Amino acid sequence: MRSSTTRTWKGPTLAHSIVVDNVSAGYGAVRVLHGVSIQVNDGETVVLLGTNGNGKSTLIKCIMGIIQPDEGEIYLEADGERINLAGKNPEEIVNLGVALVPEGRRLFPRLTVEENLLLGAYREEARRGIDRNIAFAFEAFPVLAERKNQLAGSMSGGEQQMLAVARALMSAPKVLLVDEPSVGLAPILVSRVIAKIRELKEEYQLTVLMAEQNFNQAVKIADRGYIIVHGEIAFAGEDTEALAGHELVKKYYLGA
Amino acid sequence: MFSIEFLLNALVAGILLGGFYAAMSAGLSLSFGLLDVVNIAHPAFIIFGSYLTYYVNEHFGFDPILAGLVFAVPSYFLGVAVYKIYYNSFEKTGAESLRGLVFFFGLFFLIEVILIITYGVDYRLVRAFYIGKSTSIGSVGIAYRLFVPFLVGGILAAVLYLFLTKTFFGRAIMGVAQDSLAVQLMGVDPIRIKTVAFGIGIATAVIAGSLLIIIGPVEPTIGREYIGRVFAVTVLGGLGSMTGTLVGGLILGVAESFTSSFFGPSWALAVSFGILLICLAVRPSGLFGR
Ligand SMILES: Nc1ncnc2c1ncn2[C@@H]1O[C@H](COP(=O)(O)OP(=O)(O)OP(=O)(O)O)[C@@H](O)[C@H]1O
Ligand SMILES: [Mg+2]
Repeated sequence: MRSSTTRTWKGPTLAHSIVVDNVSAGYGAVRVLHGVSIQVNDGETVVLLGTNGNGKSTLIKCIMGIIQPDEGEIYLEADGERINLAGKNPEEIVNLGVALVPEGRRLFPRLTVEENLLLGAYREEARRGIDRNIAFAFEAFPVLAERKNQLAGSMSGGEQQMLAVARALMSAPKVLLVDEPSVGLAPILVSRVIAKIRELKEEYQLTVLMAEQNFNQAVKIADRGYIIVHGEIAFAGEDTEALAGHELVKKYYLGA
Repeated sequence: MFSIEFLLNALVAGILLGGFYAAMSAGLSLSFGLLDVVNIAHPAFIIFGSYLTYYVNEHFGFDPILAGLVFAVPSYFLGVAVYKIYYNSFEKTGAESLRGLVFFFGLFFLIEVILIITYGVDYRLVRAFYIGKSTSIGSVGIAYRLFVPFLVGGILAAVLYLFLTKTFFGRAIMGVAQDSLAVQLMGVDPIRIKTVAFGIGIATAVIAGSLLIIIGPVEPTIGREYIGRVFAVTVLGGLGSMTGTLVGGLILGVAESFTSSFFGPSWALAVSFGILLICLAVRPSGLFGR
């Protein structure tokens, strides 16, 4: 499933998509997802919209192998090959080229900014491009370069979010999952982080799935999206207009 | 009045001893400082290393340092096995805090008892060309039996420092106790990281054991004297910091040396507990703690 030619960032990359098929999952007796099916095609940016507690993070955790679904299938399609993600643990899934910017950022608070980034490049495929990727991270987020020797735990929330995005990209992923990048950030910072994710996506030719409840920010980057309500997909919008026109979005996200 | 000469000799002896204390504590700084594994059996593994060294020195005339380095390899695997038992029995089920402590206490006494049964309670010592000799700079005497462990201790701390800060594996060791899920999200198996790190910790304990028996004769229960010392050095230095371990070792060495010079050797043991208490009260994160 790996190409024999060396990976170049701007050259043609191979197709990677995620297929979630009829997944049900939860935590012990708490059932959260009920037959969720979504698809993120190669090169797309798909937003998963939902207000608090509707199951966005749970779905992302299923894809990442942090929790295992009770029912349904999750595939990574890479270069026409279907890899079943069920039963795989997070580190195996990361090594297939899927990276997550997790809810709560999950940085290493007592490691420096630079050490966090270098840990991001742990996997074999990522080490080859490490100098280039770190230079790119510093270029994309200059504040990280300025503070590279500062402990991650002492950075501001916005800086930490940037670091979390940069660290995920250090693993040279093909698929990027982002769980609510806007949480706890001032609107101006949200805009900046979202804009950067879009830029990075172009640069790295990523396939992106982003969970968000900030509709106005999410549509800046999304090609299309799903609305998740009580663990079920309530609406699949083929483009951002379709999403913006939907009653749920009007009701919950646009304050109508 | 104490002469300058007397003070200088005490200072140098303390510094030399401190390098050895750093070697003793480096492995605990890994397990306790970075992995959150409260391995109170650490000093017992040191004594175990002393006896391994004694065995090959006595029977085959092996150099003690060389013996320590060679035995470090199988000891690494012993450490791996111990961690696997600990992980599967306690850590996995989240029962590590109290029952894990009892496990390591048990291990401590098990090692002691095995050594007593095998070798009795007599003091044992090793022979090497550098033991018993000394040199002097001005009026300050430097005994090689202290200088060699000092040197090896310093090198050990430096190697571990480079390993932790400059390698991917080392950085993962530093991160694993901070957030083990985040380590997984970097594509790394946290259990493997902890297993290897714990194994390295035990390997360094065995190396420290060979240094201990160079410094002086060893008997099976002498490890008890070092529990306070290794924890004092680790906490004073700052959990998980190798620079801190080295500096903490030197501070303890010098403090003990002055204490025994002024008040007599029987007070030296109290110093480590004093340092530990003051440190926990004033600066719990230690000198170089992050
Ligand atoms: N570890 C857990 N154990 C038990 N229940 C959980 C756990 N994590 C989440 N839940 C429950 O699952 C439901 C969905 O949670 P989830 O985190 O997926 O929501 P979300 O859409 O990501 O919300 P938010 O926007 O607040 O992050 C919630 O009702 C929550 O209480
Ligand atoms: Mg969430």
